[in-house]
Amino acid sequence: MKKLIGLEEAVVGDPTGLWGSFADGAEYFIGIFQEGGAVLLSLMGGILPTLVVLLTAVNALVRLIGPEKIENLGKKAAQPGLQWYPVRYMVLPFLAVFFLTNPMAYTMGRFLPEKYKPAFYDSAVSYVHPITGIFPHANPGELFVYLGIAAGITTLGYGLGDLALRYLLVGLVVIFIRGILTEIITTRMMARKGASA
Amino acid sequence: MNGINALLVKIGRSVGGVVGTLFQAGRETVDTVIRNVIPFMAFISFIIGLVLTTGIGDWIANGIKGFADSLVGLLIVSVVCAIPVLSPLLGPGAVIAQIVGTLLGVEIGKGNIPPQLALPALFAINPQVGCDFIPVGLALGEAEPETVEIGVPAVLFSRLVTGPLSVVIAYFASFGLYSSN
Repeated sequence: MKKLIGLEEAVVGDPTGLWGSFADGAEYFIGIFQEGGAVLLSLMGGILPTLVVLLTAVNALVRLIGPEKIENLGKKAAQPGLQWYPVRYMVLPFLAVFFLTNPMAYTMGRFLPEKYKPAFYDSAVSYVHPITGIFPHANPGELFVYLGIAAGITTLGYGLGDLALRYLLVGLVVIFIRGILTEIITTRMMARKGASA
Repeated sequence: MNGINALLVKIGRSVGGVVGTLFQAGRETVDTVIRNVIPFMAFISFIIGLVLTTGIGDWIANGIKGFADSLVGLLIVSVVCAIPVLSPLLGPGAVIAQIVGTLLGVEIGKGNIPPQLALPALFAINPQVGCDFIPVGLALGEAEPETVEIGVPAVLFSRLVTGPLSVVIAYFASFGLYSSN
């Protein structure tokens, strides 16, 4: 081909001068988006297919089981007493976020008395990210809190299972503490308001 | 003959039901992926491209490095994110948490932040989760207006304590994570 058009020895130099710097600028500009495009392709080719299959499976499972099943648990969690704290601020938020997903999970609060509602909301909303490490279907619109940081771990060549599992478990501990503390603050504030009214 | 027919109808119905459910689940998934996941991936890809190619990356790295590479720094981040006036502003769509998460991920990948801090960092960037959404979330739980009035400050103040606390818990829970090398 080269021989055919007689350009065997031709060497094209880089553009220089003013025009050269424009050309460099253009290359730099498009380079930003080429890099972004490469990242997008790796996301689409890497996690997206797995995510689609996983989401389908879990969505089907949730439909087959029926989300209304956990309503009974909501009614039980409304009871006072120490043994119901872990149910109200660990088990119920977990199941609500898993089966109803963000944001419908918060509707489970309707089974609880008013004084527990802010604490339950606090507890449930704090779990919509820790759960995404293993169950991304629960909050597919906000995956990058976890995925963003996880991408760094992947770059280093480590596995993500350990991080995802610890995120899930520490999340449970955190929402439990959050629920209890918010419940205490809420009851205090309600009592104060009741006294002043 | 009737018995066989009834059986066939029953089998057909239940198989149809399961297949229908699976198909519906697939449709719902593709819907979510196209409407929520891919747009965010596009947006995040642009940010990563910008960070990796331009000098912004180094600039952010220097800014973040002082905060994100130690427990104390992460605690400061979590306290700032949990300040009751700021937290509702930082909350919407978890956009801020996702961008910061992505930036931290890039820095972890480059080796500027030790990987075992990934777990506490996940909590440090997120004490504001849902703080923008308290009235709506409580309304979904059919709360009275009086409860909302008390619930909003109750949650916001609680975060000021539980935000940093979650970082400490995560820090101690991260022992043995990616540290064997």
